[in-house]
Amino acid sequence: MSVLSIVVWIIAYPLIIFCIGVLLGGYERKFSARVERRIGPSWIQPFYDVIKLMSKKTNVSHGYMHDVAILMLLGGTMLTLYFVPVPGFSYFSQFGDFLVISYLLLIPSLGMALGVGETANPNGSIGISRALQMLAGYEVPFILTFIGVAMKEQTTSMLDIIRVQQAGGFWAWGLIAHPLLGVAALIALQGMLNEKPFEVIVAPHEIATGPMTEMGGKYLGIMFIQHLIAVPLELTLYINLFLGGASNWLEYLVKLFVLWTALISVNMVFGRFRVDSAVKFMWKISLPLAALGVIGIMLNIA
Amino acid sequence: MAKELTQKAAWDRVLAKLKKNSLWMLHYCTGCGAIELPPTMTARYDMERFGIMPMVTPRQADILLITGYLSVKTLKRVILVYEQMQAPKYVVGFGSCTINGGMYWDSYSTIKSLDQYLPVEMYLAGCMPRPEAIIKGFSWLIDRVGKGEANSWRDYYENYEFYRKNQEELFGGPIQSYQDIPADAQKFGILEARQ
Amino acid sequence: MLTSMLLILPLAGFLTSLAAAWIVPASSKARASGAVQKIIAGIGFAALFVFAFLAKSEIGTGYLGIPLFGLWLNFGLTQLSWYFVAMVAGISLVTVLFSLQGLRDDGRYPFYYIWLFSKTFGMLGVLLSADMLTFFIMWEVMSWCTYFLLQQGHEKAKRAGAGYLVYAVTAGMILLAGLLYVYFNVGSFDFRTIQKAFSGFGAGRIIVAMLLVLVPMLIEAAAYPVHWWLPSAYANAETGISAYLAAISTRIGIYGMTMFLFAGFGLTALNLVTANKYVSANEVLMIIGAFTMVVPTFTALFQHDAKELMTWHSIGQGGYMIVGIASSTTLGIAGGLFHVFNHMTYVSLILFSIAAVEYRTGTTNLNKLGGLIKKQPVAYLGLLFGIIGLAGIPPMNGFVSKWLIYRALILSGHPFIALAAFIATLGTILSVYKLIHNMFLGQLPERYNDIKEVGWGMRLPIIFMMAVVWLTGAFPGTVLAVVADIQQSLGLERVAYSVHGVAAEMGQLNMLVINIVFIGGLFVSWLIYLAGGKRKHIGQYDNYAAGHFLDKSIPYNYNYNFYAGMEHIFERLLHKPPVKRAEQALATFVSGTSEYVCRIFTGNITTYSAYVVAAVVVILLVLGGGR
Repeated sequence: MSVLSIVVWIIAYPLIIFCIGVLLGGYERKFSARVERRIGPSWIQPFYDVIKLMSKKTNVSHGYMHDVAILMLLGGTMLTLYFVPVPGFSYFSQFGDFLVISYLLLIPSLGMALGVGETANPNGSIGISRALQMLAGYEVPFILTFIGVAMKEQTTSMLDIIRVQQAGGFWAWGLIAHPLLGVAALIALQGMLNEKPFEVIVAPHEIATGPMTEMGGKYLGIMFIQHLIAVPLELTLYINLFLGGASNWLEYLVKLFVLWTALISVNMVFGRFRVDSAVKFMWKISLPLAALGVIGIMLNIA
Repeated sequence: MAKELTQKAAWDRVLAKLKKNSLWMLHYCTGCGAIELPPTMTARYDMERFGIMPMVTPRQADILLITGYLSVKTLKRVILVYEQMQAPKYVVGFGSCTINGGMYWDSYSTIKSLDQYLPVEMYLAGCMPRPEAIIKGFSWLIDRVGKGEANSWRDYYENYEFYRKNQEELFGGPIQSYQDIPADAQKFGILEARQ
Repeated sequence: MLTSMLLILPLAGFLTSLAAAWIVPASSKARASGAVQKIIAGIGFAALFVFAFLAKSEIGTGYLGIPLFGLWLNFGLTQLSWYFVAMVAGISLVTVLFSLQGLRDDGRYPFYYIWLFSKTFGMLGVLLSADMLTFFIMWEVMSWCTYFLLQQGHEKAKRAGAGYLVYAVTAGMILLAGLLYVYFNVGSFDFRTIQKAFSGFGAGRIIVAMLLVLVPMLIEAAAYPVHWWLPSAYANAETGISAYLAAISTRIGIYGMTMFLFAGFGLTALNLVTANKYVSANEVLMIIGAFTMVVPTFTALFQHDAKELMTWHSIGQGGYMIVGIASSTTLGIAGGLFHVFNHMTYVSLILFSIAAVEYRTGTTNLNKLGGLIKKQPVAYLGLLFGIIGLAGIPPMNGFVSKWLIYRALILSGHPFIALAAFIATLGTILSVYKLIHNMFLGQLPERYNDIKEVGWGMRLPIIFMMAVVWLTGAFPGTVLAVVADIQQSLGLERVAYSVHGVAAEMGQLNMLVINIVFIGGLFVSWLIYLAGGKRKHIGQYDNYAAGHFLDKSIPYNYNYNFYAGMEHIFERLLHKPPVKRAEQALATFVSGTSEYVCRIFTGNITTYSAYVVAAVVVILLVLGGGR
């Protein structure tokens, strides 16, 4: 890759992902409206929301950490984004493997947690407490599935994992080759994306949208932007690990939308777990699946 | 200088066109009118197709929807909530009670006209206004936001003495407030923007 | 002889400050006595720091023998021991600098620096000892000094110190047995002779010898089943002392483990036990390490005291070192050894920040604090940097060592140990957020309305440690260079490091790029932030409470029982048998024993000194007589 194309990609990459995120977000709202027999909002409704929030005339914050946290939230997500390879752009993947990505993903969570903490609102603190407990819930099976895949391929690099899957064709896709791991990770992904039945963090009727309670104006706007980037980012992680990555953008988009449809369909038909039930579900259903898969791989190797 | 101003005006016009597609609503439903909102939001009338969504806390909302009568005690809370909202913000009085007291016209404990205490952007008359009327009203509000004419919220900053005087007369003494409205008007440059 | 200065200096400091305490006793003039002690300590530890770094030139050459009853106590520096010596010297200096202001001259800790000097002497003695006999003698000296350091202050600390002593004495006895076992099998205390002899032994004898020397090391490192002494002992010590102890004292056990595993008995012996078909020594160690990571970390989740929470983490982080070193892979050993340094930096930083809060508010109870970010921003930032390091989140240094350990575990085929490490990390994130939230975020109680930030004397060490935590995160190669040298000196493969991470042949990690991209991301976010409207800061009472008016009379905060869901999940483990019953039985036993042991402690300094002298004399007489 020439320097120029890298620079162009660095600028364009977050923008493209943001646009995809807007479409995914609009698609989710349109989809749920259709399921509920409504017409639903515009396809780019998240974009309008972001513009509205960013152009608010007055904004209030509870202190400097509140301001900085919102930067950590978006900055950390963009940082993670660069290390996730997509078709045509994988320059930064040489500087960090999947372990790096999984840890970078914690920066936005931590940023949000600190900022919400400073708003001194108990609803926010409860939301963060739930978010962190959910983190402990879904991250454990998700990381175990990755450990399994990495052990099988003897590499922790995401690029290598994609390469192996693409070389082997459809039958080498993670979901096909290690179905237990794939399913376990899919359940974990549902929690990671904070979709029902694991949507315990925002819970508007219980804790007044939790972390977002005291967020208004541009603070909420930046949280929305972060969310719109984080959704395709986390879906891409799954695609790269279990759906064979993507060799071109068309394939990538198709996989993205198919996976997203599957997840939001589940989202549509479920209620919400209590937080300890959600964590238990992850540890009792998803984790043993992943563990079985890993044991299978260990037996295969040995 | 003039060119800059027109550029800014043009930018504002574009923004207004985009902003009108997203209005989030905080409903303050102490009165009986809340019963008309579920059909407005759900499949029959589907408010979300206009980008109008219910929100939970005042920080996030654009519209403060006040359904039905307001007693003096609840008005205090409404003012607190209104002041916690981020401008631009629109108060929508829903039902006759907010306009002239409605069937509580002679009650000692309810207020008669909301616009004495808060800048009301739009009233939805009726007892109850049907979902059709609500949709119609919101379409009108969306049009006004799109044209950049929905400016009632500036009134609160500009004529704060008026509202404050009415509030204090009603409550019979100085009111508790976390906001310094005149200072905010200075800080956020709301007064200059009008000229 | 620079190496000898490392032993002479703390000893001289100990004697000088003891003399000073005799001349200017704290009971009459607390302020003057404190000032004299602080001056002596400042000069002594600064000199020690300089000599520790100068002594690097003497690695492998400067042997020093002290004749004692016809025996020789041999001291010398190796690559491994120099790494630990430098850490001891560095963290002692920072602790002393912090305590210059952090320790109030109210006469509550009259022997603070005296015991600090003696403890440093003991640790350096262990690190420098070049044969097994010296190791054992210095080990005993160090244990007693630790006890003296722990028992200062209030009554609880004395009890906890006595509890430690039970473990330390047990560890000492086992180590003595190990020493004798090796001696009767080999006929020498010299490591080179031992190595030569052990390479010819069968697995059985090696395993017995290893058990007898590794168990005391694990007790000192507070590994899982034998970690009970640590939380109460460290949590009840003065906070600066807690920082010092948690940072380095416990890690002497890790040093001993590494030394005995790789250098003490030699790699041939090690390979024999690890390649064993039935019980692989390193897998046993790794399982111990895994438990050490997970159990204490999740115990920390439910603590209500900042220091106690941190001491549980101090145990948990030891698990990473044990697992990394026991994995016996290049990356794992590098990660384990690097983690010792990282843990030292961030754990002391966190405890300094806690000390700064305690200095002003007088409490470390997590249910009583809150909202202090507005009052003590430097302490907050210190804690923030520390917890990012502790949780192992980039860009701080804790991430690099954890990354090395994960990668080593995954690639060497230990998925469930790797998972345990990851679970422990998640537990860490949960509990450190509780720590920072309950202390610095949330609602500020009215009673803390007029407290101030601590003075520069405490702020500067915090800022310095923040810089260390961040810079060694961005440029891990600076420390990994030393670690690679250690690996080479132990006859292992060197970790392939670059200045800002790990070189491509051993994986892909470039912390500098991560830092730059992160700063770039923050900058872009800042531009987006600026594109929005103006903002103003509002007070904590202007808050969403569903239309309720908040004021100081209304506690509007969420900090008690912070992880209710988790508590619900672990309810049975926390409150019901069998774990609780075993814990209670052991606690009753330990406290019973401790109380019994307590009786011989009069709280009188002369008695204690007499005990030390008597103990050393008895040991030497026994050994000299055996000769």
